[in-house]
Amino acid sequence: MAISRRAESLDLGVTLPGEEGRRSLGGHLRRWLPLGLGILMAVAMIVLAAAAPLIAPLSPSAQYSDAVLKGPGAVERHMLGTDEFGRDILSRIIWGARVSLQVGLASVFWGFLVGVPLGILAGTRGGAVETAIMRCADMLMAFPTLLLALIIVTALGGTLANEIMAIGIALTPNFVRLARSLALTIREQDYIMAARALGSGQLRVMARHVFPNALYALVVVATLYIATAIRTEASLSFLGLGIPPPTPSWGNILSEGRQYIKCCPWITTFSGLAIMLAVLAFNLVGDALRDLLDPRLRGE
Amino acid sequence: MFQYVARRVLVAVPMLLGAMSIVFFAMRILPGDPCVSMMGDQATREALADCTKNLGLHRPLAVQYVDYLWRSVQLDFGNSLRQGYPVSEYIARMFPHTLVLVMSSAVVAGLVGIPIGIVSALKRRSPLIDYPLRIFALLGLSMPVFWLGILLLIVFSLRLDIFPLIGGGDLEGVLHMLRTGEALSSPGDFLAAVGDVLHHLVLPAFALGFTLAATISRLSRSAMLEVISQDYIRTARAKGQGERAVVYKHAFRNMMVPLLTIIGLFVAVALTGTVLTETVFTRPGLGKMLVDAIGARDYPLAQGAITVFTMTIIFVNLVVDMLYAVVDPRITYR
Repeated sequence: MAISRRAESLDLGVTLPGEEGRRSLGGHLRRWLPLGLGILMAVAMIVLAAAAPLIAPLSPSAQYSDAVLKGPGAVERHMLGTDEFGRDILSRIIWGARVSLQVGLASVFWGFLVGVPLGILAGTRGGAVETAIMRCADMLMAFPTLLLALIIVTALGGTLANEIMAIGIALTPNFVRLARSLALTIREQDYIMAARALGSGQLRVMARHVFPNALYALVVVATLYIATAIRTEASLSFLGLGIPPPTPSWGNILSEGRQYIKCCPWITTFSGLAIMLAVLAFNLVGDALRDLLDPRLRGE
Repeated sequence: MFQYVARRVLVAVPMLLGAMSIVFFAMRILPGDPCVSMMGDQATREALADCTKNLGLHRPLAVQYVDYLWRSVQLDFGNSLRQGYPVSEYIARMFPHTLVLVMSSAVVAGLVGIPIGIVSALKRRSPLIDYPLRIFALLGLSMPVFWLGILLLIVFSLRLDIFPLIGGGDLEGVLHMLRTGEALSSPGDFLAAVGDVLHHLVLPAFALGFTLAATISRLSRSAMLEVISQDYIRTARAKGQGERAVVYKHAFRNMMVPLLTIIGLFVAVALTGTVLTETVFTRPGLGKMLVDAIGARDYPLAQGAITVFTMTIIFVNLVVDMLYAVVDPRITYR
């Protein structure tokens, strides 16, 4: 088994200087295609959600009594068919994107906003502060994301704001842990010592030095958590604990369609497909960003 | 070793305590009076007061909290509001169903995920093998288990009529036969009952297993990549060992160590998955019990289910921590 220099550099997951220039067209394509595809899908989804009133062919709540439980294309105006109330599935899915994306983005933003400062504080300060913060995070980590979100939503009731808060709280300990572990490495760097020697206070060190250096890894992971949040929201709605009908969300469209899988499988098929594509989009972007930005995090 | 175990247990205790406190207080801020949901809106004031007293809800919150903790440790979660039976009895009945589902899906996930991860790592960057397998893993990771479950039901239960649409088979019967020794005296009946349970298990185990296989394949891929670049692999190759022996004798065993650590994570994800899987397949189990209990506002039942979920996860993590130290002697027992 010959071990060439090039094979070694690939095995280590690093690019040697000069290798970049040698990449073939196929290499570039493999590198950028997942990211491009993911961004395209995510942007398409965001546009769809933002412009739902303009894009959706019909109202998501309008009932067409002449087209109850019709298959895709059976009635011309209903491209993806209708549900048991004669509502247009395509329009409901387009409007449902709003709930999924709002919850996905806002809950990750919440988790980031609360978790990252706490994690950086724990990692930089150390001592009793760190112990207190990390023990609280561990306690929340004992619950899987969906279970914790489920408990909180059950306690508070299924509204959009509560769902965002529930998933946000469930994601927070993940951000705390990651930010802390990044801060632990960063605080040992020479530039932190230099900043301290120059008289920077604790807060300044954390805000101006630790945070910016941890930011890229945090953003990559945040992208992946958007996928988790979207899936969690869909799961809650599927279990009947999310946004109550008639407001369309992908999870509750799918849940309502469950009773009709025998006659009308299109209701569950298309709403589930929407969930999968949305989760896939953010997984693609997060994965590709991680590969591009940080070889150390690869394959984690 | 003893010190290490003691340390781990001591860390797990406050975690469990904290998690149980979260469950307790979350259940206390739930909207609606449990007595009203139990007896209906028409109940008289006296009846409601009586019920509140019977459930011990008239006591100060702190007393209720300590009482809940003390009873939970003894696995006493009170009585179900709907049926009146002890919650622990329900849990004991439902736990085997969930356990069987988690274990069988773990088998599916391992059998599908580990080989995919290994092949994908060994044929790294091969456009015909690695990339399709990674896309497969990404799809599995993005596919919600309840959707996959419904698709499987549509194809295999409704269209092809190969597998049952609902239920979990007579698992209690099987366990009863095992306990009474009937399994040996009438092996025919026993095998038929086991067959029925397995028949009901195929689709749920595959649905949950497939979504978990995606995670497993990614982790085994990175574990294999890590191992394959180690010096001892190079040594094995240098001394002229065949590639097969290098992979299976040297790389595979070492790759399993990092995989072991994720068993804890796996159980957590799988248990959450059972909530969705059991709901989709209308299968008895802890997950479905939890969802039904929440729907019916049966708080003691929901509280018991969540507590058991959390206890299981913390316990499994504790065991994994210890196993890890046993398997990898480099871990020091600090």
